[in-house]
Amino acid sequence: MFNNLLILSAAGMLVTGYLMVGQKALFTAIRLYGAQSWLLGVIAVAIALGDDRPHLFVTATLTVVLKGLLIPWFLMRVVDRIGIRREIEPFLNVPASLLICLGLTVVGYRVSTGFPEGAQGVTHHVIGVGLSMLLIGLFLMVTRKKAVTQILALLTVENAVFLIALGITSGMPLVVELGISFDVLLAVLVLGILVRRIVDRFESMDVSRLSQLKG
Amino acid sequence: MIEHALAPIGLAALQAAAMLALAPLLRGLIKKMKAALQMRQGPPLLQVYYDLAKLLRKEAVRSATSSWLYIAGPRMYFATAVVATTLVPVWIAAAPLEAAGGVLAFVGILALGRFFLATAALDTGSPFGGMGASREMTIAALAEPALMLGLFTAALSAGSLNLGALVRGLLDRGVAFHPSDVLALAGLFIVVIAETGRVPVDNPATHLELTMIHEAMVLEYAGADLALVEWASALKELLYLTLLADLFAPIGIATSASPVLLLQSALIWAAKMFVLALAVTLVESTNAKLRLFRVPDLMAVSLGLGFLALAIRFL
Repeated sequence: MFNNLLILSAAGMLVTGYLMVGQKALFTAIRLYGAQSWLLGVIAVAIALGDDRPHLFVTATLTVVLKGLLIPWFLMRVVDRIGIRREIEPFLNVPASLLICLGLTVVGYRVSTGFPEGAQGVTHHVIGVGLSMLLIGLFLMVTRKKAVTQILALLTVENAVFLIALGITSGMPLVVELGISFDVLLAVLVLGILVRRIVDRFESMDVSRLSQLKG
Repeated sequence: MIEHALAPIGLAALQAAAMLALAPLLRGLIKKMKAALQMRQGPPLLQVYYDLAKLLRKEAVRSATSSWLYIAGPRMYFATAVVATTLVPVWIAAAPLEAAGGVLAFVGILALGRFFLATAALDTGSPFGGMGASREMTIAALAEPALMLGLFTAALSAGSLNLGALVRGLLDRGVAFHPSDVLALAGLFIVVIAETGRVPVDNPATHLELTMIHEAMVLEYAGADLALVEWASALKELLYLTLLADLFAPIGIATSASPVLLLQSALIWAAKMFVLALAVTLVESTNAKLRLFRVPDLMAVSLGLGFLALAIRFL
Protein backbone atom coordinates (compact mmCIF):
# COMPACT_ATOMS: atom_id res chain seq x y z
CA MET A 1 0.00 0.00 0.00
CA PHE A 2 2.61 2.54 1.07
CA ASN A 3 5.02 1.15 -1.47
CA ASN A 4 2.42 1.77 -4.18
CA LEU A 5 1.89 5.33 -2.99
CA LEU A 6 5.64 5.82 -2.94
CA ILE A 7 6.11 4.56 -6.49
CA LEU A 8 3.11 6.53 -7.77
CA SER A 9 4.39 9.78 -6.29
CA ALA A 10 7.98 9.23 -7.40
CA ALA A 11 6.85 8.53 -10.97
CA GLY A 12 4.55 11.57 -10.71
CA MET A 13 7.59 13.69 -9.84
CA LEU A 14 9.36 12.41 -12.94
CA VAL A 15 6.31 13.30 -15.04
CA THR A 16 6.29 16.87 -13.68
CA GLY A 17 9.99 17.09 -14.55
CA TYR A 18 9.21 16.05 -18.12
CA LEU A 19 6.31 18.44 -18.47
CA MET A 20 8.60 21.21 -17.24
CA VAL A 21 10.99 20.43 -20.08
CA GLY A 22 8.13 20.25 -22.56
CA GLN A 23 6.48 23.63 -22.13
CA LYS A 24 7.36 27.26 -21.85
CA ALA A 25 4.70 29.16 -19.91
CA LEU A 26 6.36 30.33 -16.71
CA PHE A 27 3.21 30.09 -14.57
CA THR A 28 2.66 26.48 -15.57
CA ALA A 29 6.29 25.66 -14.81
CA ILE A 30 5.91 27.17 -11.34
CA ARG A 31 2.70 25.22 -10.75
CA LEU A 32 4.44 22.05 -11.89
CA TYR A 33 7.21 22.70 -9.39
CA GLY A 34 4.56 23.17 -6.69
CA ALA A 35 2.93 19.86 -7.64
CA GLN A 36 6.33 18.20 -7.57
CA SER A 37 6.95 19.44 -4.02
CA TRP A 38 3.54 18.19 -2.90
CA LEU A 39 4.41 14.77 -4.32
CA LEU A 40 7.71 14.88 -2.42
CA GLY A 41 5.71 15.59 0.72
CA VAL A 42 3.50 12.57 -0.02
CA ILE A 43 6.62 10.43 -0.44
CA ALA A 44 7.96 11.58 2.93
CA VAL A 45 4.61 10.75 4.56
CA ALA A 46 4.51 7.35 2.86
CA ILE A 47 8.01 6.51 4.14
CA ALA A 48 7.12 7.85 7.59
CA LEU A 49 4.04 5.60 7.77
CA GLY A 50 5.58 2.60 6.02
CA ASP A 51 8.86 2.47 7.95
CA ASP A 52 7.48 4.01 11.15
CA ARG A 53 9.75 7.05 11.17
CA PRO A 54 7.62 9.81 12.71
CA HIS A 55 10.21 12.56 12.35
CA LEU A 56 9.66 12.42 8.61
CA PHE A 57 6.24 14.02 9.19
CA VAL A 58 8.11 17.22 10.09
CA THR A 59 10.06 16.92 6.84
CA ALA A 60 6.84 16.44 4.91
CA THR A 61 5.21 19.46 6.52
CA LEU A 62 8.27 21.62 5.87
CA THR A 63 8.41 20.46 2.26
CA VAL A 64 4.75 21.13 1.57
CA VAL A 65 4.60 24.50 3.31
CA LEU A 66 7.89 25.90 2.04
CA LYS A 67 8.32 24.30 -1.37
CA GLY A 68 4.71 23.51 -2.13
CA LEU A 69 3.15 26.82 -1.14
CA LEU A 70 5.55 29.60 -0.15
CA ILE A 71 8.15 29.39 -2.92
CA PRO A 72 5.62 28.94 -5.78
CA TRP A 73 3.62 31.88 -4.43
CA PHE A 74 6.74 34.05 -4.24
CA LEU A 75 7.91 33.09 -7.73
CA MET A 76 4.46 33.75 -9.17
CA ARG A 77 4.54 37.17 -7.59
CA VAL A 78 7.94 37.87 -9.12
CA VAL A 79 6.74 36.77 -12.58
CA ASP A 80 3.55 38.77 -12.16
CA ARG A 81 5.43 41.94 -11.22
CA ILE A 82 7.86 41.59 -14.08
CA GLY A 83 5.10 40.84 -16.55
CA ILE A 84 7.09 38.39 -18.68
CA ARG A 85 5.05 35.22 -19.00
CA ARG A 86 6.79 32.95 -21.45
CA GLU A 87 10.15 31.34 -21.92
CA ILE A 88 11.89 32.53 -25.05
CA GLU A 89 13.20 29.95 -27.48
CA PRO A 90 15.68 27.86 -25.46
CA PHE A 91 19.11 26.89 -26.76
CA LEU A 92 17.66 23.52 -27.78
CA ASN A 93 14.15 23.00 -29.15
CA VAL A 94 11.64 20.95 -27.19
CA PRO A 95 11.76 17.60 -29.05
CA ALA A 96 15.57 17.55 -28.91
CA SER A 97 15.54 18.43 -25.20
CA LEU A 98 13.03 15.67 -24.55
CA LEU A 99 15.19 13.14 -26.37
CA ILE A 100 18.20 14.15 -24.31
CA CYS A 101 16.15 13.95 -21.11
CA LEU A 102 15.06 10.48 -22.16
CA GLY A 103 18.70 9.46 -22.39
CA LEU A 104 19.44 11.13 -19.05
CA THR A 105 16.60 9.20 -17.40
CA VAL A 106 17.89 5.92 -18.73
CA VAL A 107 21.36 6.80 -17.42
CA GLY A 108 19.93 7.80 -14.04
CA TYR A 109 17.95 4.59 -13.78
CA ARG A 110 20.90 2.46 -14.83
CA VAL A 111 23.23 4.14 -12.33
CA SER A 112 20.72 3.69 -9.52
CA THR A 113 21.27 -0.08 -9.65
CA GLY A 114 24.85 0.56 -8.52
CA PHE A 115 23.72 1.75 -5.09
CA PRO A 116 23.80 -1.08 -2.56
CA GLU A 117 20.27 -0.15 -1.43
CA GLY A 118 19.07 0.53 -4.94
CA ALA A 119 19.59 -2.84 -6.54
CA GLN A 120 15.90 -3.69 -6.55
CA GLY A 121 12.39 -2.98 -5.35
CA VAL A 122 10.96 0.33 -4.25
CA THR A 123 14.24 2.06 -3.40
CA HIS A 124 15.52 1.25 -6.88
CA HIS A 125 12.68 3.31 -8.35
CA VAL A 126 13.00 6.12 -5.82
CA ILE A 127 16.74 6.47 -6.36
CA GLY A 128 16.32 6.03 -10.11
CA VAL A 129 13.72 8.78 -10.30
CA GLY A 130 15.83 11.00 -8.02
CA LEU A 131 18.97 10.63 -10.15
CA SER A 132 17.02 11.15 -13.37
CA MET A 133 15.43 14.32 -12.04
CA LEU A 134 18.81 15.56 -10.86
CA LEU A 135 20.17 15.17 -14.39
CA ILE A 136 17.03 16.70 -15.97
CA GLY A 137 17.27 19.68 -13.61
CA LEU A 138 20.92 20.24 -14.50
CA PHE A 139 20.05 19.96 -18.19
CA LEU A 140 17.23 22.50 -17.83
CA MET A 141 19.57 24.89 -16.06
CA VAL A 142 22.07 24.71 -18.90
CA THR A 143 19.66 25.06 -21.81
CA ARG A 144 17.12 27.62 -20.66
CA LYS A 145 17.64 31.34 -20.95
CA LYS A 146 15.12 32.80 -18.53
CA ALA A 147 16.35 33.43 -15.02
CA VAL A 148 13.08 32.19 -13.45
CA THR A 149 13.26 28.86 -15.31
CA GLN A 150 16.82 28.47 -14.11
CA ILE A 151 15.68 29.02 -10.52
CA LEU A 152 13.00 26.37 -11.07
CA ALA A 153 15.65 24.02 -12.47
CA LEU A 154 17.81 24.60 -9.40
CA LEU A 155 14.82 23.86 -7.17
CA THR A 156 14.10 20.69 -9.14
CA VAL A 157 17.68 19.57 -8.53
CA GLU A 158 17.19 20.31 -4.84
CA ASN A 159 13.98 18.24 -4.78
CA ALA A 160 15.81 15.43 -6.54
CA VAL A 161 18.65 15.42 -4.02
CA PHE A 162 16.07 15.38 -1.25
CA LEU A 163 14.32 12.43 -2.86
CA ILE A 164 17.58 10.48 -3.17
CA ALA A 165 18.37 11.28 0.47
CA LEU A 166 14.95 9.93 1.47
CA GLY A 167 15.54 6.80 -0.59
CA ILE A 168 19.05 6.00 0.64
CA THR A 169 19.22 7.18 4.23
CA SER A 170 16.64 6.81 6.93
CA GLY A 171 16.04 10.54 6.73
CA MET A 172 18.55 13.23 7.67
CA PRO A 173 18.72 14.71 11.19
CA LEU A 174 16.08 17.37 11.74
CA VAL A 175 18.63 20.16 12.17
CA VAL A 176 20.13 19.43 8.78
CA GLU A 177 16.70 19.34 7.15
CA LEU A 178 15.70 22.64 8.73
CA GLY A 179 18.99 24.16 7.59
CA ILE A 180 18.52 22.97 4.01
CA SER A 181 14.92 24.12 3.85
CA PHE A 182 15.73 27.64 4.98
CA ASP A 183 18.76 27.72 2.72
CA VAL A 184 16.48 26.98 -0.21
CA LEU A 185 14.01 29.62 0.87
CA LEU A 186 16.76 32.23 1.22
CA ALA A 187 18.28 31.25 -2.11
CA VAL A 188 14.93 31.74 -3.82
CA LEU A 189 14.42 35.12 -2.15
CA VAL A 190 17.88 36.30 -3.19
CA LEU A 191 17.46 34.94 -6.70
CA GLY A 192 14.05 36.60 -6.95
CA ILE A 193 15.65 39.95 -6.17
CA LEU A 194 18.45 39.19 -8.60
CA VAL A 195 15.93 38.45 -11.35
CA ARG A 196 14.25 41.80 -10.80
CA ARG A 197 17.61 43.55 -10.95
CA ILE A 198 18.41 41.76 -14.21
CA VAL A 199 15.04 42.78 -15.65
CA ASP A 200 15.47 46.39 -14.50
CA ARG A 201 18.84 46.62 -16.21
CA PHE A 202 18.32 44.62 -19.39
CA GLU A 203 14.53 44.83 -19.75
CA SER A 204 14.56 41.06 -20.26
CA MET A 205 15.04 37.90 -18.22
CA ASP A 206 17.38 36.46 -20.82
CA VAL A 207 20.53 35.59 -18.89
CA SER A 208 22.52 35.11 -22.08
CA ARG A 209 22.51 38.90 -22.35
CA LEU A 210 24.62 39.06 -19.20
CA SER A 211 27.64 38.06 -21.23
CA GLN A 212 27.38 41.12 -23.45
CA LEU A 213 29.35 44.24 -22.65
CA LYS A 214 27.27 47.04 -21.25
CA GLY A 215 28.56 50.52 -21.89
CA MET B 1 -21.37 -24.54 -33.85
CA ILE B 2 -23.15 -21.61 -35.41
CA GLU B 3 -24.47 -20.49 -32.03
CA HIS B 4 -20.92 -20.66 -30.73
CA ALA B 5 -19.85 -18.16 -33.39
CA LEU B 6 -22.93 -15.97 -33.04
CA ALA B 7 -22.67 -15.36 -29.30
CA PRO B 8 -19.67 -13.00 -29.48
CA ILE B 9 -21.30 -11.11 -32.35
CA GLY B 10 -24.46 -10.64 -30.31
CA LEU B 11 -22.43 -9.46 -27.34
CA ALA B 12 -20.49 -7.11 -29.59
CA ALA B 13 -23.69 -5.61 -30.97
CA LEU B 14 -25.05 -5.20 -27.45
CA GLN B 15 -21.89 -3.51 -26.18
CA ALA B 16 -21.62 -1.26 -29.23
CA ALA B 17 -25.27 -0.22 -28.93
CA ALA B 18 -24.91 0.57 -25.22
CA MET B 19 -21.74 2.57 -25.80
CA LEU B 20 -23.38 4.45 -28.69
CA ALA B 21 -26.33 5.29 -26.48
CA LEU B 22 -24.13 6.55 -23.65
CA ALA B 23 -21.51 8.42 -25.69
CA PRO B 24 -23.42 11.71 -26.15
CA LEU B 25 -24.06 11.79 -22.39
CA LEU B 26 -20.31 12.03 -21.74
CA ARG B 27 -20.06 15.03 -24.09
CA GLY B 28 -23.01 16.66 -22.34
CA LEU B 29 -21.47 15.97 -18.94
CA ILE B 30 -18.15 17.54 -19.90
CA LYS B 31 -19.93 20.59 -21.34
CA LYS B 32 -22.02 20.92 -18.18
CA MET B 33 -19.04 20.64 -15.85
CA LYS B 34 -17.07 23.11 -17.94
CA ALA B 35 -19.95 25.57 -17.75
CA ALA B 36 -20.19 25.06 -13.99
CA LEU B 37 -16.50 25.94 -13.64
CA GLN B 38 -17.16 29.16 -15.56
CA MET B 39 -20.15 29.98 -13.31
CA ARG B 40 -22.53 29.48 -16.23
CA GLN B 41 -25.56 27.27 -16.32
CA GLY B 42 -24.58 25.67 -19.60
CA PRO B 43 -26.68 23.61 -22.00
CA PRO B 44 -28.86 20.80 -20.60
CA LEU B 45 -27.17 17.48 -19.98
CA LEU B 46 -29.10 15.89 -22.85
CA GLN B 47 -28.45 18.70 -25.35
CA VAL B 48 -26.06 16.56 -27.39
CA TYR B 49 -28.88 14.02 -27.90
CA TYR B 50 -31.26 16.79 -29.05
CA ASP B 51 -28.63 18.08 -31.46
CA LEU B 52 -28.04 14.62 -32.89
CA ALA B 53 -31.78 14.02 -33.28
CA LYS B 54 -32.18 17.36 -35.02
CA LEU B 55 -29.29 16.72 -37.39
CA LEU B 56 -30.50 13.21 -38.22
CA ARG B 57 -33.86 14.61 -39.31
CA LYS B 58 -32.30 17.21 -41.60
CA GLU B 59 -31.43 16.69 -45.21
CA ALA B 60 -27.73 16.09 -45.96
CA VAL B 61 -26.62 18.83 -48.34
CA ARG B 62 -23.82 17.62 -50.57
CA SER B 63 -21.67 19.51 -52.98
CA ALA B 64 -22.37 18.74 -56.65
CA THR B 65 -18.66 18.31 -57.35
CA SER B 66 -18.05 15.71 -54.67
CA SER B 67 -17.63 12.00 -55.38
CA TRP B 68 -18.55 8.84 -53.47
CA LEU B 69 -15.63 9.47 -51.10
CA TYR B 70 -17.54 12.37 -49.64
CA ILE B 71 -20.47 10.12 -48.80
CA ALA B 72 -18.26 7.26 -47.61
CA GLY B 73 -16.26 9.47 -45.21
CA PRO B 74 -18.72 9.88 -42.33
CA ARG B 75 -20.06 6.35 -42.77
CA MET B 76 -16.62 4.76 -42.55
CA TYR B 77 -15.70 7.01 -39.62
CA PHE B 78 -18.84 5.91 -37.79
CA ALA B 79 -18.42 2.24 -38.71
CA THR B 80 -14.78 2.07 -37.63
CA ALA B 81 -15.59 3.74 -34.30
CA VAL B 82 -18.33 1.14 -33.69
CA VAL B 83 -16.06 -1.76 -34.68
CA ALA B 84 -13.26 -0.46 -32.45
CA THR B 85 -15.76 -0.48 -29.56
CA THR B 86 -16.13 -4.24 -29.86
CA LEU B 87 -12.39 -4.77 -29.35
CA VAL B 88 -12.28 -3.10 -25.93
CA PRO B 89 -13.47 -4.66 -22.67
CA VAL B 90 -15.97 -2.29 -21.08
CA TRP B 91 -18.06 -3.88 -18.36
CA ILE B 92 -16.69 -7.38 -18.44
CA ALA B 93 -13.02 -8.41 -18.51
CA ALA B 94 -13.27 -9.72 -22.05
CA ALA B 95 -13.81 -7.86 -25.29
CA PRO B 96 -16.71 -9.30 -27.34
CA LEU B 97 -14.64 -9.72 -30.48
CA GLU B 98 -11.25 -10.17 -28.86
CA ALA B 99 -10.55 -13.19 -31.06
CA ALA B 100 -10.62 -10.82 -34.03
CA GLY B 101 -7.75 -8.61 -33.00
CA GLY B 102 -5.89 -6.79 -30.26
CA VAL B 103 -4.14 -3.52 -29.65
CA LEU B 104 -2.79 -3.15 -33.19
CA ALA B 105 -6.19 -3.82 -34.76
CA PHE B 106 -7.72 -1.21 -32.46
CA VAL B 107 -5.23 1.47 -33.48
CA GLY B 108 -5.40 0.45 -37.13
CA ILE B 109 -9.20 0.48 -37.34
CA LEU B 110 -9.40 3.95 -35.83
CA ALA B 111 -6.70 5.11 -38.25
CA LEU B 112 -8.75 3.74 -41.15
CA GLY B 113 -11.74 5.85 -40.10
CA ARG B 114 -9.57 8.91 -39.85
CA PHE B 115 -8.09 8.24 -43.28
CA PHE B 116 -11.55 8.12 -44.84
CA LEU B 117 -12.69 11.29 -43.13
CA ALA B 118 -9.54 13.13 -44.22
CA THR B 119 -9.85 12.01 -47.85
CA ALA B 120 -13.52 12.97 -47.81
CA ALA B 121 -12.57 16.43 -46.53
CA LEU B 122 -10.15 16.80 -49.45
CA ASP B 123 -12.79 15.60 -51.90
CA THR B 124 -14.90 18.76 -52.08
CA GLY B 125 -11.86 20.88 -52.88
CA SER B 126 -12.73 23.45 -50.25
CA PRO B 127 -9.62 25.04 -48.72
CA PHE B 128 -10.98 24.55 -45.19
CA GLY B 129 -11.41 20.83 -45.63
CA GLY B 130 -7.88 20.45 -46.95
CA MET B 131 -6.42 22.57 -44.19
CA GLY B 132 -8.34 20.69 -41.50
CA ALA B 133 -7.39 17.33 -42.97
CA SER B 134 -3.71 18.19 -43.15
CA ARG B 135 -3.72 19.45 -39.57
CA GLU B 136 -5.63 16.44 -38.30
CA MET B 137 -3.22 14.06 -39.99
CA THR B 138 -0.18 15.97 -38.69
CA ILE B 139 -1.39 15.56 -35.15
CA ALA B 140 -2.57 11.99 -35.69
CA ALA B 141 0.83 11.00 -37.08
CA LEU B 142 2.37 12.12 -33.79
CA ALA B 143 -0.39 10.82 -31.53
CA GLU B 144 -0.54 7.34 -32.98
CA PRO B 145 2.98 6.18 -32.06
CA ALA B 146 2.49 7.66 -28.59
CA LEU B 147 -0.76 5.71 -28.26
CA MET B 148 0.96 2.51 -29.36
CA LEU B 149 3.85 3.00 -26.92
CA GLY B 150 1.40 3.51 -24.05
CA LEU B 151 -0.55 0.41 -25.04
CA PHE B 152 2.66 -1.63 -25.41
CA THR B 153 3.77 -0.63 -21.92
CA ALA B 154 0.54 -1.97 -20.46
CA ALA B 155 0.80 -5.03 -22.71
CA LEU B 156 4.30 -5.74 -21.39
CA SER B 157 3.15 -5.84 -17.79
CA ALA B 158 0.13 -8.01 -18.64
CA GLY B 159 1.93 -10.24 -21.13
CA SER B 160 -0.56 -9.96 -23.98
CA LEU B 161 -1.34 -7.64 -26.86
CA ASN B 162 -4.99 -8.68 -26.85
CA LEU B 163 -7.04 -6.11 -24.97
CA GLY B 164 -9.26 -8.67 -23.23
CA ALA B 165 -6.33 -10.84 -22.15
CA LEU B 166 -4.46 -7.67 -21.24
CA VAL B 167 -7.11 -6.56 -18.78
CA ARG B 168 -7.32 -10.06 -17.30
CA GLY B 169 -3.53 -10.09 -16.93
CA LEU B 170 -3.59 -6.72 -15.16
CA LEU B 171 -6.32 -7.99 -12.83
CA ASP B 172 -4.22 -11.05 -11.98
CA ARG B 173 -1.22 -8.87 -11.24
CA GLY B 174 -3.20 -7.02 -8.58
CA VAL B 175 -2.30 -3.58 -7.27
CA ALA B 176 1.46 -3.51 -7.66
CA PHE B 177 2.40 -0.30 -9.40
CA HIS B 178 5.46 0.16 -11.50
CA PRO B 179 6.66 3.71 -12.27
CA SER B 180 6.22 2.99 -15.96
CA ASP B 181 2.44 2.79 -15.41
CA VAL B 182 2.33 6.41 -14.28
CA LEU B 183 4.51 7.57 -17.16
CA ALA B 184 2.41 5.64 -19.69
CA LEU B 185 -0.79 7.02 -18.18
CA ALA B 186 0.47 10.59 -18.46
CA GLY B 187 1.55 9.96 -22.05
CA LEU B 188 -1.74 8.33 -22.99
CA PHE B 189 -3.77 11.09 -21.36
CA ILE B 190 -2.11 13.63 -23.64
CA VAL B 191 -2.89 11.36 -26.61
CA VAL B 192 -6.54 11.16 -25.55
CA ILE B 193 -6.72 14.95 -25.29
CA ALA B 194 -5.24 15.26 -28.78
CA GLU B 195 -7.33 12.52 -30.38
CA THR B 196 -10.59 13.83 -28.99
CA GLY B 197 -9.77 17.40 -30.02
CA ARG B 198 -9.86 18.87 -26.52
CA VAL B 199 -8.49 22.22 -25.54
CA PRO B 200 -4.72 22.40 -25.39
CA VAL B 201 -4.71 20.86 -28.88
CA ASP B 202 -8.02 21.81 -30.49
CA ASN B 203 -11.16 23.59 -29.36
CA PRO B 204 -14.37 21.66 -30.02
CA ALA B 205 -16.52 24.72 -29.29
CA THR B 206 -15.29 27.23 -31.88
CA HIS B 207 -15.39 27.63 -35.61
CA LEU B 208 -12.63 30.20 -35.73
CA GLU B 209 -10.96 29.67 -39.06
CA LEU B 210 -7.33 29.94 -37.97
CA THR B 211 -7.48 27.61 -34.99
CA MET B 212 -9.86 24.80 -35.78
CA ILE B 213 -8.54 21.37 -36.66
CA HIS B 214 -11.19 18.68 -36.50
CA GLU B 215 -14.02 21.14 -37.06
CA ALA B 216 -12.37 22.48 -40.21
CA MET B 217 -12.16 18.98 -41.60
CA VAL B 218 -15.89 18.33 -41.17
CA LEU B 219 -17.02 21.88 -41.94
CA GLU B 220 -18.64 20.91 -45.24
CA TYR B 221 -20.92 18.29 -43.75
CA ALA B 222 -24.56 18.92 -42.90
CA GLY B 223 -27.58 17.00 -41.70
CA ALA B 224 -27.34 13.26 -41.17
CA ASP B 225 -23.73 13.15 -42.41
CA LEU B 226 -22.72 15.61 -39.72
CA ALA B 227 -24.70 13.70 -37.11
CA LEU B 228 -22.73 10.54 -37.93
CA VAL B 229 -19.42 12.38 -37.57
CA GLU B 230 -20.43 13.98 -34.27
CA TRP B 231 -21.79 10.75 -32.87
CA ALA B 232 -18.68 8.80 -33.88
CA SER B 233 -16.47 11.47 -32.29
CA ALA B 234 -18.44 11.23 -29.04
CA LEU B 235 -18.15 7.42 -29.17
CA LYS B 236 -14.40 7.63 -29.73
CA GLU B 237 -14.07 9.91 -26.74
CA LEU B 238 -15.93 7.48 -24.48
CA LEU B 239 -13.91 4.63 -25.95
CA TYR B 240 -10.56 6.28 -25.23
CA LEU B 241 -11.56 7.09 -21.65
CA THR B 242 -12.72 3.48 -21.19
CA LEU B 243 -9.39 2.32 -22.54
CA LEU B 244 -7.54 4.48 -20.00
CA ALA B 245 -9.67 3.04 -17.20
CA ASP B 246 -9.09 -0.51 -18.48
CA LEU B 247 -5.34 -0.14 -18.69
CA PHE B 248 -4.59 1.72 -15.49
CA ALA B 249 -7.46 0.98 -13.10
CA PRO B 250 -9.02 -2.32 -14.15
CA ILE B 251 -10.20 -2.94 -10.59
CA GLY B 252 -13.93 -3.56 -10.36
CA ILE B 253 -14.46 -4.85 -13.89
CA ALA B 254 -16.66 -7.99 -13.87
CA THR B 255 -14.75 -11.26 -14.30
CA SER B 256 -17.83 -13.40 -14.96
CA ALA B 257 -21.21 -12.69 -16.49
CA SER B 258 -23.32 -12.82 -13.32
CA PRO B 259 -25.90 -9.98 -13.23
CA VAL B 260 -24.81 -8.67 -9.82
CA LEU B 261 -21.17 -8.47 -10.86
CA LEU B 262 -22.16 -6.82 -14.14
CA LEU B 263 -24.27 -4.19 -12.40
CA GLN B 264 -21.50 -3.50 -9.92
CA SER B 265 -18.97 -3.31 -12.73
CA ALA B 266 -21.18 -0.89 -14.69
CA LEU B 267 -21.51 1.39 -11.67
CA ILE B 268 -17.75 1.36 -11.05
CA TRP B 269 -17.21 2.03 -14.76
CA ALA B 270 -19.56 5.03 -14.57
CA ALA B 271 -17.61 6.35 -11.57
CA LYS B 272 -14.31 5.95 -13.44
CA MET B 273 -15.75 7.74 -16.49
CA PHE B 274 -16.91 10.57 -14.25
CA VAL B 275 -13.45 10.97 -12.71
CA LEU B 276 -11.78 10.93 -16.13
CA ALA B 277 -14.35 13.38 -17.53
CA LEU B 278 -13.60 15.64 -14.57
CA ALA B 279 -9.87 15.42 -15.34
CA VAL B 280 -10.53 16.31 -19.00
CA THR B 281 -12.73 19.23 -17.92
CA LEU B 282 -10.10 20.54 -15.52
CA VAL B 283 -7.38 20.33 -18.17
CA GLU B 284 -9.67 22.08 -20.62
CA SER B 285 -10.63 24.83 -18.21
CA THR B 286 -7.18 25.60 -16.84
CA ASN B 287 -5.19 25.57 -20.07
CA ALA B 288 -5.17 27.91 -23.00
CA LYS B 289 -5.28 26.42 -26.47
CA LEU B 290 -1.79 25.89 -27.82
CA ARG B 291 -0.63 27.55 -30.97
CA LEU B 292 -0.71 25.01 -33.81
CA PHE B 293 3.08 24.99 -34.07
CA ARG B 294 3.33 24.23 -30.35
CA VAL B 295 1.18 21.10 -30.64
CA PRO B 296 4.03 18.91 -31.95
CA ASP B 297 5.98 19.83 -28.80
CA LEU B 298 3.12 18.53 -26.65
CA MET B 299 2.93 15.37 -28.72
CA ALA B 300 6.70 14.99 -28.36
CA VAL B 301 6.20 15.08 -24.59
CA SER B 302 3.66 12.29 -24.79
CA LEU B 303 5.87 10.30 -27.15
CA GLY B 304 8.81 10.82 -24.80
CA LEU B 305 6.78 9.67 -21.82
CA GLY B 306 5.73 6.57 -23.77
CA PHE B 307 9.31 5.73 -24.73
CA LEU B 308 10.45 6.29 -21.18
CA ALA B 309 7.71 4.07 -19.77
CA LEU B 310 8.89 1.26 -22.05
CA ALA B 311 12.57 1.89 -21.26
CA ILE B 312 12.03 1.89 -17.48
CA ARG B 313 10.25 -1.46 -17.78
CA PHE B 314 13.57 -3.00 -18.74
CA LEU B 315 15.80 -1.21 -16.22
